[in-house]
Amino acid sequence: MDFVGSRRAVNEHVIYQIPLYVDNELQGDEQRLFEAHINACASCWAALEYERRLILAIHQARPLYATPEGLREKVEQILQNHQPISKRFSSRTRRIFVATTVVLGLMLAWFIARPTHIPLVRPSEFALVAVDTHQRYTRNQLPLEVISSSPEEISTWFAGKLPFNLKLPNYPEDLNQSKPYEIVGARLIGFKHDYAAHVVYRLHNRPISLVVTSETIAQPSGGEKIPWQGLLFHFDVINGWKVLTWSDKGLTYALVSDFEEHGQASCVVCHSGGQDQHKFEGLKFR
Amino acid sequence: MIGQGEDKEGQKSIEQAILEYLEALYGYAMSLARNPVEAEDLVQETYLRAIKGARRSMPTGDLKAWLFRILRNIWINQRRRAQGSELLLGIDIEGLESESEWTVKNQQRPDTIFEQGLLRENIRIALESLPEAFREVIVLRCMEGFSYSQIAEILGCPVGTVMSRINRARAELRRRLNKWADGFCGK
Repeated sequence: MDFVGSRRAVNEHVIYQIPLYVDNELQGDEQRLFEAHINACASCWAALEYERRLILAIHQARPLYATPEGLREKVEQILQNHQPISKRFSSRTRRIFVATTVVLGLMLAWFIARPTHIPLVRPSEFALVAVDTHQRYTRNQLPLEVISSSPEEISTWFAGKLPFNLKLPNYPEDLNQSKPYEIVGARLIGFKHDYAAHVVYRLHNRPISLVVTSETIAQPSGGEKIPWQGLLFHFDVINGWKVLTWSDKGLTYALVSDFEEHGQASCVVCHSGGQDQHKFEGLKFR
Repeated sequence: MIGQGEDKEGQKSIEQAILEYLEALYGYAMSLARNPVEAEDLVQETYLRAIKGARRSMPTGDLKAWLFRILRNIWINQRRRAQGSELLLGIDIEGLESESEWTVKNQQRPDTIFEQGLLRENIRIALESLPEAFREVIVLRCMEGFSYSQIAEILGCPVGTVMSRINRARAELRRRLNKWADGFCGK
């Protein structure tokens, strides 16, 4: 922002931003301009103090309604009645059940030990959230907040909204080369009390979700580890969706799709074009 | 008694984890239903569906937001069935004064309500008098501490809608609390 623009912004009353500021929803330049104005404007300062005290009073009034006596017991009963089967059975039935479980367990152990099977290491919370986000998008439960096929436009939309800088790649850079994928749009999602980016791509009419957060907020873990091109990828299959998570240059990414094998076809959104295509071969099953 | 067992890593069972939100869920249910019997039913139904759902596949993401979303969906479906048509929460929010009007009033009468002491009962009465859509976002944001993004997920609407609704809800709440302060002062 130039000097004149900055002065104008500082001098504008910020009444409408007060709730956003109190709720920690202002970031970057918006937050700085807001604070600069508040420090110089008595009426906005008074309004901010008023809002803060109102919010505090509302929060301190919690709980407004006492939970009725006996509700906890009723809910505990509901949860008890839906305990896993092994916790509810009588001791005789349980012995039969345990014996059956042992047999099934041995079968499962054999199944897991097969050379081609993916190790059962718990997926990271970030991978779970990425899959949940993708799933809800595909069910039309999570509308996009910006619709655009332009990576620049989407990067601009994210600017100032995320606790990190996100610049979407525009592969292939050669304008004469056609893109094998298309960008559909993007939205913010909540993750660990902050915002993460959700970008939706489409490849062969199949949706791909790219979820990005700061590496300080989430580190990839769990699943099958795949070292590739100096990065460590974690691969999981969650509810039938293939998810690859990895960290690079301070950001953590999750790519969710229903593509074959490790879903490596989805990598095309950042590495399209013949030159890079062969590189994904390294992400195949070992 | 639920929740005595923890796994080897000391992690809570799903029963223990979801039971922690009982009071919060009841408060949310009351803010929607405004009827203790209906609210109690809503909470029980929420736990029933949550535990059944968790048995099928473990919930991902924020557990509290997940429970709130379940409760809200049950409430919406119940209302829809009862009304037999498309349901819109807070359809009576049109026609309320605009935010700029509140702002002017607040600047003219700073802190009156706080000088008189803002009691829980006054907040409850003011909240209960708000349109449902406003009451709901105040509870989710100011009482339960959900972020705008989480509220958007619970309500199934864009973040921008949440922002404007919270703004308008707070403005309306301020107006109603100011009215109470006026009455208290005998103005």
